[in-house]
Amino acid sequence: MTAQRQASSAAQTPHLSAAELSYLYTSLSLPNNPIRPDGRSPTQFRPLAAECDILPGTNGSARIGFADGTQAIVGVKAEVEKTTLTADTLDARSLSLQSDLGPSGDGREGTEGSSAATGGHGSWVQMSIEIPGFRDDDALPVFLAEMMRESLVGSVGGKDGDGIERGMAGGLKGRLVINKRWHWRLYIDVLLLSQPLSYPLPLLSLTTHLALLSTKLPKLKSQGEEDPFFDDDWAVAEYLYPRASAGLKFNPSQQVRPPVTLLVISVGENVIFDPNREEIAVADAVLAISVTRDTESQGLKLLTIRTIDPPSRLTQPGVPNSENVNMLGATAPGESVAVLNPATGEEEIPGVWRPRRGGVKRSVIAGMVKTVLKKGGVGEEVLAGLEGVQVG
Amino acid sequence: MAITILPPVVEDLGPYQSDSDESMSDNSDSDIEMSGVSRSNKRARLGSKKAGKGIVTPGEVVTDDPQWMRERGRSRHFHKPFIDIYCSHCRRYRQKTNKLLSVHPLRARYTPEIGDLVVGRIVEVQSRRWKVDVAAPLLAQLPLSAINLPGGILRRRTSADELQIRTFFCEGDLVVAEVQSVHQDGAASLHTRSLKYGKLRNGIFLAVTGTGGSGANNSSVKGGVGSLAVPGNATGTGGVVRSRRQVWTLETHNGGGEVDVYLGVNGYIYIAKHADGAAATTSASENVAISRMEEMVSSSIYSSQNDEIPPQTRREIARLAQSIQVLVQGGVRVDEDTVRQAYEASQQVDLEVGDDDEDEHSEGREYLEGSKARRILELVVHGN
Repeated sequence: MTAQRQASSAAQTPHLSAAELSYLYTSLSLPNNPIRPDGRSPTQFRPLAAECDILPGTNGSARIGFADGTQAIVGVKAEVEKTTLTADTLDARSLSLQSDLGPSGDGREGTEGSSAATGGHGSWVQMSIEIPGFRDDDALPVFLAEMMRESLVGSVGGKDGDGIERGMAGGLKGRLVINKRWHWRLYIDVLLLSQPLSYPLPLLSLTTHLALLSTKLPKLKSQGEEDPFFDDDWAVAEYLYPRASAGLKFNPSQQVRPPVTLLVISVGENVIFDPNREEIAVADAVLAISVTRDTESQGLKLLTIRTIDPPSRLTQPGVPNSENVNMLGATAPGESVAVLNPATGEEEIPGVWRPRRGGVKRSVIAGMVKTVLKKGGVGEEVLAGLEGVQVG
Repeated sequence: MAITILPPVVEDLGPYQSDSDESMSDNSDSDIEMSGVSRSNKRARLGSKKAGKGIVTPGEVVTDDPQWMRERGRSRHFHKPFIDIYCSHCRRYRQKTNKLLSVHPLRARYTPEIGDLVVGRIVEVQSRRWKVDVAAPLLAQLPLSAINLPGGILRRRTSADELQIRTFFCEGDLVVAEVQSVHQDGAASLHTRSLKYGKLRNGIFLAVTGTGGSGANNSSVKGGVGSLAVPGNATGTGGVVRSRRQVWTLETHNGGGEVDVYLGVNGYIYIAKHADGAAATTSASENVAISRMEEMVSSSIYSSQNDEIPPQTRREIARLAQSIQVLVQGGVRVDEDTVRQAYEASQQVDLEVGDDDEDEHSEGREYLEGSKARRILELVVHGN
């Protein structure tokens, strides 16, 4: 039963008392200036320790440790596979044909006609997540893996720029194509080393991002439609996602980058990033927002938004003093007056916890997305921070 | 910058640079640093007469020299007296004082002792008692008969009370209580039969290591493992220690008013706005006879409604909680003195930092980590 609850809900809900929940909620929903229990500003992340290339047997790997002690390791392995056009891929081909000739209609896949063989296929990326205490077919790991894989393969790079990112046309899927008959298959194995103290999504997503950034594929020696033949010198291997090199002047904002998924909560009117467990427990709404660099507008592009079931729904309501049988005679009548919560539109008695019934205002959701996407906003800072981690 | 990404910290497993050696190296002229890396080497040394301090593992022979005495109290870990000293359960620090050998766990759960003030969380409600999580290996129990029922001392306990047991405490509620007795299996039985004890509200909860773990009750053994450990300082794994006062009221700065700090011996801490209980109740109902005063106060014990807490107080409560976290990360024991010092130090550090960057005003400057935390620890430990 507890496992089910964990799987369906945003966190392993700690048992918090009604008084604690109420205290946290009121602190976090103070207009304009929420007081977080650890004193961070709403957009501040806990410091994290990160390193790349830690596993020698993989094409790319990373480890991130959060300040609360949770750690994750991601390994990316690549394998050459023969492209078979199954019914599924054929279907996808016709779909992608339609979409390519659709509104944009620029047919960027060329005259050969777009097929899974040239455009890549989402199933070429496999992701598995292992979380201690969960089976690998439990809802949480499966859901998380799909959520991250979907934004990963869904992020398609823009049109070819000045020939710089030719390799990344079609995003990650396109990059995996070797030629018409062969392609790379990526296995992304995510391992959470510690118990999931809070919803592990941001940790896993950041670590995956870092691992993909450090992923290298061997340099291809064969040409065209030959069977692939690779340079066995690992030193000349190419990054899966092209990195800025010293010689060429890359503008980092023009490069295709793997997406990151950020966990954002709203409490009252406030938008809070990198919530810890207690903060998630009182959230009105929990969103997982995936963003990536937009190669065209040089800003950020929103890939997906997922709402996550806020655990506050499952909590027990507090008992106001006026209804408390143990306080009969101790409270003066009319002491507790219900006031309207502006964020949810529910009547509440101050100091008494009421579980959220769900639903937040549109403006709050818009605010959350805006804080992530805006220029110089949180999304850019996170991407820039991850870019700065030493690779190699 | 919203996000700070640090390079990984290499955890140094050999920080047992003993500066407490002077006090106890009278019988071994060169105290040996146990590296823990070269096991065969270590064994050889342990077998010798020069038993220094280091980490021992379960089943390991600490020494076979009969000159050593075993420490009392923890002696259940040493089965064969005088000849072979074994230890069980987990890796421990070894410490010697003259001829006394003692082994302290690196990390352990709280072991309840009679009279301890603990903060606990109700995890289960049963027919006549509650099960309380007090960070001990077993859940503690709080019988219905061990709480003060509202309505004065003379109130009879009826079956109605049993039926509405959840109106007193329900799952998730925090209580501050005293350990009344410890059963054979180590499970504790609690009571809240005093106005000092009862349900907690108006504040925040945090959990750190408590007494029993960490060997924190012995201030001379130490080897800081925390990444924040101040160099040149005998630090251990910090945590709450038994002290003269576990509950006290702190006058906070910045208009925060008075704040109560409950340091549970088990490592659970609650920081709440000071409830001037009597005053609040009398203002609610002015005409309370002095004889009924206790009754009135005790009835508010079971309230789960928070009082109105101004933002300044909330801010100071958060700061106090962080100060304690900093202490724990730095491996400093947590008691009334150190908490006070850390809180004052955090104020001072804030002023120092505030001079440096005025433009970054209020952007997360209340978050105490990294350099701020280190500075606070320096101030607490060295006092400068």
